[in-house]
Amino acid sequence: MDKLVLIIEDNKENYYLMRYLLEHKGLRVIGADNGWMGIEMAIYNNPDIILLDIQLPGMDGYSVARRIRAKDEIQDIPIVAVTSYAMVGDKEHALAAGANGYIEKPINPDSFADQILEYLNIDETRRDDEDPMC
Amino acid sequence: MLARFSLCLRAAILRSVRNTAAFRFLLFCMIFLLLILPLAATERVVNVGLYENPPKIFSDENGEPAGIFVDIMDAIASEQGWKLNWHSGSWEENLRLVREGRLDLMPDVAVTEERKLIYDFHENPVLLSWSQIFSHRDRDIRTFSDLEGMRIAVLTGSVQQRILEEIVSTMGITVNLILLDSFDEALHSVSDREADAVATSVFYGRMKAREFRLKESPLVFQPSTLFFVSQKGSNADLLDAIDKSLSKIKKDPNSIYFQSLRHWTPEAQSWGMPSWLKLSILLMGVAMGISVLAGLILKRQVRLRTKALKKANLEMEKRIEERTEELGFALRQAQVADMLKSAFLSTMSHELRTPLNSIIGFTGILLQGLPGEINDEQKKMLGIVQTSSRHLLSLINDVLDISKIEAGQLELHLSDVNLRKITEKTIGLVSLQAEDKGLKLDLHIDRDTYYIRVDQRRFEQVLLNLLSNAIKFTDQGSVSMICTSKDDNLWITISDTGIGIPKDKFDNLFIPFQQIDMGLTRRFEGTGLGLSISQKLIRLMGGDITVESEINKGSSFHIILPLHQENNDG
Repeated sequence: MDKLVLIIEDNKENYYLMRYLLEHKGLRVIGADNGWMGIEMAIYNNPDIILLDIQLPGMDGYSVARRIRAKDEIQDIPIVAVTSYAMVGDKEHALAAGANGYIEKPINPDSFADQILEYLNIDETRRDDEDPMC
Repeated sequence: MLARFSLCLRAAILRSVRNTAAFRFLLFCMIFLLLILPLAATERVVNVGLYENPPKIFSDENGEPAGIFVDIMDAIASEQGWKLNWHSGSWEENLRLVREGRLDLMPDVAVTEERKLIYDFHENPVLLSWSQIFSHRDRDIRTFSDLEGMRIAVLTGSVQQRILEEIVSTMGITVNLILLDSFDEALHSVSDREADAVATSVFYGRMKAREFRLKESPLVFQPSTLFFVSQKGSNADLLDAIDKSLSKIKKDPNSIYFQSLRHWTPEAQSWGMPSWLKLSILLMGVAMGISVLAGLILKRQVRLRTKALKKANLEMEKRIEERTEELGFALRQAQVADMLKSAFLSTMSHELRTPLNSIIGFTGILLQGLPGEINDEQKKMLGIVQTSSRHLLSLINDVLDISKIEAGQLELHLSDVNLRKITEKTIGLVSLQAEDKGLKLDLHIDRDTYYIRVDQRRFEQVLLNLLSNAIKFTDQGSVSMICTSKDDNLWITISDTGIGIPKDKFDNLFIPFQQIDMGLTRRFEGTGLGLSISQKLIRLMGGDITVESEINKGSSFHIILPLHQENNDG
């Protein structure tokens, strides 16, 4: 397969981790470290899925999600929010902003890639979250 | 004329005999005349003398007769049917006219033996008169000796002068008599303070007292009774009539007699008031003064009180404002504190999880051998790193959880959860753990379907916590999860055949950071938060966790949750 994943994440290590795991599964990965660039790249590259860190500097993840949903060219791309799940309501907030699902940090390195593949195979359907506790 | 009248009358009578109507008319006329004639025949004109001696008798500003005698005379005349003719003149002149028979009556004549020889007096006196000393209002004269050294005004040649001189010489006191030509002048001199007192007739003095600021003194002399007089031997009938009328009007207290007296001589000219009046006025004044004073004092009190109240009110209001402000401030502070707590927890959560992400993540990648194969030693070591980091993550989660709960920041997302599904899932998660220790793992649910209203994630957390604990503290035997319903509650009992918990440690079980055996801490890892978090979570969901245990026999932890009828069929 030749699916393209766009990761919008400002933490270099997190990005490296996710990218390594996904590329090992055969996915192509591109990244942006802030919201504006992320939206630009989404428009330009038309990825098959966007992994969106909620805790972004500047424009936060929710706003990015909303903007993506507002743009005709990219509004159908599935968005998976990646979040520390700090506070109550983070999940609902993410889904309300337009995410199709979310993954909690710290991610499970054993199952992360499979989860993303599932999102890619089942388009735009909501999924129950996996237990993040390892 | 009378003769001619009688002739006509006779003729009329004769004529009338022949005419009955005319006769009736004539009869009427005769009766009428008979009634009139006596009256007409006895209507008498009485000529009365008048001289100037107010208020007894005088001419007023219109020249009309006025005074006490005039009033009385008028009353007598109307009763007697007299027509009065007043003749104004001097005293002497009028008396002369009386002597000559040209005046019928002269009023205001004091009876003396002398005069009785000259004139006829009637019996019933008209008025009683006397002379009296009047002083200036400011002066107080009590006795004749008080007159010592005073200047006393009198009418020249008057009876007052004569009598006063007699009294003075009799008493051996010295007075300065000021002789004046009229009573008015005499009175004036007192009010002008050129004289200290005046001797005048009581009537005149009383009439003028107010005008001249005079005060009656008790010094009186020369009393006289006053009558009407007539020519000797002529008018006995007049005098009789006067007596009759007089006695009548003097008996009636509302008659002209008294009215006239009251009118012309207003009583109580003395400026000195009777003492009882003085006293009562004084008392009244005092009473009034007191009441006014009391009123003022009260008003002042009221004013002061009102002021104090207003002040107190203002102060209260000020304090209320201050308190409200303080409360508002406190509220805002609390709100800010909440926000800060929330932000803090959120930040801490994020900050703590981020490095763990890398630790757990890359360790996992290495263990998967993705960058390259690793040898057993490396695998073992990396395994330790991974376990520790997972442990660290669970600790962080616990700490964050308890912080949230304590900060009131924990919110549950309740939903209807299928009991069987959730219990089977958690049992599955710990099955490996149990297998490793050789323990049997059971699940029994007494009904097919139970739905519980819980926060799914958190409830799983609790089940896992209790199951892990059970497995951790059991070395042999079994761990079972049994779900039954009792009354309106669901009981999930997690029992083990482990080491048990001493009864005296029961109370501390659910308290944060309390481990049962401090000595065995190393063996049983954990911060001791798990149970307290679990209990708090279950309580937030409307239930509770209780424990039963026996040393070396095992423990049973009961999760009790309310069952909602509408969610459960069976």
